[in-house]
Amino acid sequence: MKALAEGHNVSPEIIEKLRKPIVVAGLCLAWELVVRGMQVNPLLFPAFSDVVMHLAAGLGLGGSGELWGYIWDTLRVLLQAYAISVALAIFMTGLAVGNRWAREVLSVMTGIFQPLPSIALLPMAILWFGFSQESLIFVVVMSMLWPIASSLTVGFATVSPTLVRLGQNYELSRISLVTTVLVPSALPMMIAGLKVGWGFGWRTIVAAELVFGATGGGGGIGWFINNSRLFMNVADGFAGIMLVIIIGLATESLFIALQRLTTQRWGTETA
Amino acid sequence: MATAANRAARFEQLSPGEPLVTIRDASIAYSTRGRAATLAVDSVSIDIRKGEKFVILGPSGCGKSTLLTAIGGFIPLTSGSIKIDGEPVGSPSMDRIMVFQDFGQLLPWRTVLGNVTWGIRRRFPKMSRSEAQARARECIALVGLDRQSPQYPNTLSGGQKQRCALARAFAVAPALLLMDEPFGALDAINRERMQAELNRMLMEGARDMTVIFVTHDVNEAVHLGDRIMVMSRGPGRVRALIDNPHVGSPLFHTDAMPLAAELRELLKDTENTVS
Ligand SMILES: Nc1ncnc2c1ncn2[C@@H]1O[C@H](COP(=O)(O)OP(=O)(O)OP(=O)(O)O)[C@@H](O)[C@H]1O
Ligand SMILES: [Mg+2]
Repeated sequence: MKALAEGHNVSPEIIEKLRKPIVVAGLCLAWELVVRGMQVNPLLFPAFSDVVMHLAAGLGLGGSGELWGYIWDTLRVLLQAYAISVALAIFMTGLAVGNRWAREVLSVMTGIFQPLPSIALLPMAILWFGFSQESLIFVVVMSMLWPIASSLTVGFATVSPTLVRLGQNYELSRISLVTTVLVPSALPMMIAGLKVGWGFGWRTIVAAELVFGATGGGGGIGWFINNSRLFMNVADGFAGIMLVIIIGLATESLFIALQRLTTQRWGTETA
Repeated sequence: MATAANRAARFEQLSPGEPLVTIRDASIAYSTRGRAATLAVDSVSIDIRKGEKFVILGPSGCGKSTLLTAIGGFIPLTSGSIKIDGEPVGSPSMDRIMVFQDFGQLLPWRTVLGNVTWGIRRRFPKMSRSEAQARARECIALVGLDRQSPQYPNTLSGGQKQRCALARAFAVAPALLLMDEPFGALDAINRERMQAELNRMLMEGARDMTVIFVTHDVNEAVHLGDRIMVMSRGPGRVRALIDNPHVGSPLFHTDAMPLAAELRELLKDTENTVS
């Protein structure tokens, strides 16, 4: 394929690489043209260029830079919840590895909570914790914990028995067996779980902040989006949405880079 | 680690010919939940001498791996005893390195060099990194993997993976090397090449290493074993114990053909006892 392509002026590979940017640019252009050409009310649906200007202003390019504060509010809560979820998941998986009953409990709990959109727990959380950061953390943890725990469990359960025996043969202690054999073996599933967990958490926290915004709480990018409707700054709202998408994509590619550095290089990604 | 070194030192004091592994009435049963236990190895008694290359030959499913795994200390005996240098086998140790049949015995996140160096650094924790790497390179050269040494296991062929596992085991210089059909999953040509190479390595570098080699391949047994123990089909018993004068002679050498034919008959017999 490569050799064939090199003879031509525009190789299929370059077209392949450019396909995505071209589609993205085309969609943006269509957005701009439709809004401008059909004279849509900018209060309902702003043009692409307006949204980009507002986004730039919100990020400090010729504007207040207020968006950074909102992003930080959201990410701070999310990172706290992430740390809690990962610690809980490791703890629960550790129990489950050693005990059949604990394993069954974990598997049942995962089965129950994984299909539940945890945002549905927000009303209860508000009842228990009030309009506080704790409520947010609670629902976000409930969305991240189960996918992380279940992929950890699967990761540890599928470690090759031969590698465990290899570890025993070289007289690894229990702890070094975990760190030098079990964890690297489970890494593909771990990274996948962390990625999925982060994605769930990200959706949940934005949704939860929207609800908080609607009821008058404060902070976060979701709250900012909701506020833009209240104050008829629709372009700001669109800028907020765009930012949510950009951050989501950026973290996703972080995880992909991590996979490329580890499991892809070792060829264990599908294990 | 100190105990391992001491024990290795004690092995050296035994003169060749003295028994190193003493197996007495060893039986091993697997208990599967809800079903009657299956007897895999049935009262095997055998002495394996220091420095000898001992082959366990038998049809598939006769309990060869089970017996070898028990010698390695990975599974317990149901009854009887296995002693190494007079001491009952405990948990697995670096005195007895196992080369598994499975290609998946290399750490996938370490290169060929990394895998071998890892083994050396486990066995000789005081050795400096550079010294360990130098030793690893020697062993890798011995199995002919020099060019592959910076590669990760997923980029190696099956035969190359087994060579790497062999290099790692040799680098650790165990008193007892346990090999469970390491070439069983290779194609015929690669298997013959590996058999010849292993023979050369055992002749050159490991004269006083005791080796127990499991196989179901008659020619492999004749090529590699000072003595050959034939096991009957499950539950595995000792069916015959044969001194092999042809050890080390080229594969398929005409002189060795009668013995190979005899072994083949013995294996066929063990098949018949089943039906
Ligand atoms: N973990 C296990 N649980 C239950 N039964 C087992 C287990 N491992 C092996 N067996 C049984 O024990 C018997 C001997 O198995 P073993 O693996 O030792 O045979 P083998 O001689 O190594 O065969 P092969 O040449 O195919 O590797 C077989 O009947 C097998 O079904
Ligand atoms: Mg076997």
